[in-house]
Amino acid sequence: MKIKSLEPQYTNEAAINLGAEAAVEKGRYLYCVADARERLSLGTIGIEGSEVYTVSCGDICAVVHECPAQPYESTDREVVESWVIIHQKVVDVAWERWGTVLPMSFDTIIKGESGESAQQNVRDWLKEEYTVLKSRMDKMRGKAEYGVQVFWDPKLVAENLVQTSPEIKKLDEEIRSKSKGLAYMYRQKLENVMKHEMEAKADEWFKDFYGRIREIADDIRVEKTKKAAQGLQMMMNLSCLVCTDRYAELGEELDKIDRTEGFSVRFTGPWPPYSFAGNA
Amino acid sequence: MEPTRNSHATLVDLLDRVLDKGLIIHADLIVSVAGVPLIGVNLRAALAGMETMLRYGLMRDWDEEIRTRESEYRREQKSSLVSGEEIITEMLGSYHCSEGIYAVWRTGRFLLTDKRLILYHTSFEEVLFETALDEIMGLALENELHFTGKPRENLNLLLKCGNIVRLHARDTLGLKEALEQGLISLGVCWEEIPNLNLHDDNTAKFLLDGEEVMYCGGIWHQIPSRGILAESWKPGHLYLTSRRLCWWYDFEEMIGFETPLNCITGSMTEIKELGTALKRGKALDVVYIGERGKEVASFSGDNLADWERALNEASSRRDCALTGEMETCPRCGREAESSGLLERGCNYCAWISPRTMKKELVTGIEVG
Repeated sequence: MKIKSLEPQYTNEAAINLGAEAAVEKGRYLYCVADARERLSLGTIGIEGSEVYTVSCGDICAVVHECPAQPYESTDREVVESWVIIHQKVVDVAWERWGTVLPMSFDTIIKGESGESAQQNVRDWLKEEYTVLKSRMDKMRGKAEYGVQVFWDPKLVAENLVQTSPEIKKLDEEIRSKSKGLAYMYRQKLENVMKHEMEAKADEWFKDFYGRIREIADDIRVEKTKKAAQGLQMMMNLSCLVCTDRYAELGEELDKIDRTEGFSVRFTGPWPPYSFAGNA
Repeated sequence: MEPTRNSHATLVDLLDRVLDKGLIIHADLIVSVAGVPLIGVNLRAALAGMETMLRYGLMRDWDEEIRTRESEYRREQKSSLVSGEEIITEMLGSYHCSEGIYAVWRTGRFLLTDKRLILYHTSFEEVLFETALDEIMGLALENELHFTGKPRENLNLLLKCGNIVRLHARDTLGLKEALEQGLISLGVCWEEIPNLNLHDDNTAKFLLDGEEVMYCGGIWHQIPSRGILAESWKPGHLYLTSRRLCWWYDFEEMIGFETPLNCITGSMTEIKELGTALKRGKALDVVYIGERGKEVASFSGDNLADWERALNEASSRRDCALTGEMETCPRCGREAESSGLLERGCNYCAWISPRTMKKELVTGIEVG
């Protein structure tokens, strides 16, 4: 990032003018909105060592640092990752201190505009959105987000299906009676039927697991499933908003799923409520 | 079970959340989006999905960005031009690229030279579409309701290979006029085709109950002389269905030729004079029993070999249907003669038996 430096030979007046202009151009990087009326500095814990402090409006505040009105961008994966980790650390500090936060996405920078400084724009925004922010924070109070990912081993599940589904069992037997060439074809047919049955099974299990988790969680977002390693498949990816006193209960339920043959569960958190801070 | 937030093991979960989620501020207040759309590409292409970009309306900004960049590239060297080739006009535009299930409008910059029409993507230095002007046989304007809800005009080019290319430009009419000027100065004759209708599914108009299309494609057909009209080559689409072989005449929107499958007695490819439009080239002659006994229908286009194969398959299938050695393809489930299916694979979905694949691999190595 380039930082404009003032040339020393400017007259005082010019320097002041330039300074004022530069102030307008500046932005505020937002980490989160917190449920606090304090106005204070959290120290130089921000991205690239910036000082993080609060801008308040009534009993809520935004956690920010001062930066040029330019987004942080890089094509270097490690750099982006380190920024994201720092972003998260700052949100964590605020979360620990004040209990309830609405985390922002990475690279949310409010700019100064039409004579208003960026700082003032942050304050105006808090004021304008006060009711929405406040009610959303009320919803998050005493809760945290947990990631629940359920994986299954398609091989194990498929073996199970061959034993239990009559249609598949019949096809499996037919293969043995066919000539070598036809057996190849029947094997592909079998694969198709298996795929269908597996999908139906996955659906069934999804509904079952979802129902059990829904009982415990306050809110759930169903996320896209991702690729998994070691021959496993992710069949369910949820973000769950859970009351802090019920997370142990969720852990117990996930244990039960984890113990089911062919299934394993990944349980992450507690996260600040990233998945629930946005649109309700 | 206890949740984990070990920073190494959960980095991906963290990135998902911090980059793609979180509280959103309306776009006019923040700098991360407006004016610098490429941030989405830089940061997120490597790390996360497109959701955030779409949510912010980034794609719209992106489009504008491309438009403003137009001026920057105006003076740049057009590396793809042949020496002596002169640019007549250029403008932003797009062409409808469709291959298989993939169909999309690709955007770039039209360069109309005295020899060619090129659609060039300046940033990626890629030629998206290109045709020599003397390949153009016809022009047609088409009105389309764009997905943005606005009606817009597209320009369709009918090429000698029988393909129809759909183009759209910032000033479609202007492009058409410039193109016509270019064609005139080259001495190329072209047809002005009114109301070309590409979107109607022709098959709905002639398929009978239970009839299924096995193979189809754009192809030229020689319409025999009738009355005072001399025989002539016309572009259209040939359909091989479960019952018939029929050719749909695109401009007249009617069946121009048809014969039941069991009346076809043979087909062959030969080189012959194809008239003023196509000059000399390959033609596929289909011999069939018509009203006046043995008759021949001629077709010409890019994929005659595929057509010949498809017609042969159809006739061998007919023979096998009598002997009863039929099997269903394991992938698409269509009926086919069993030895052909095992040896050559499925004609419709391109399924190949693993054994044949292995065999081909081995022979491939030997030949190589």
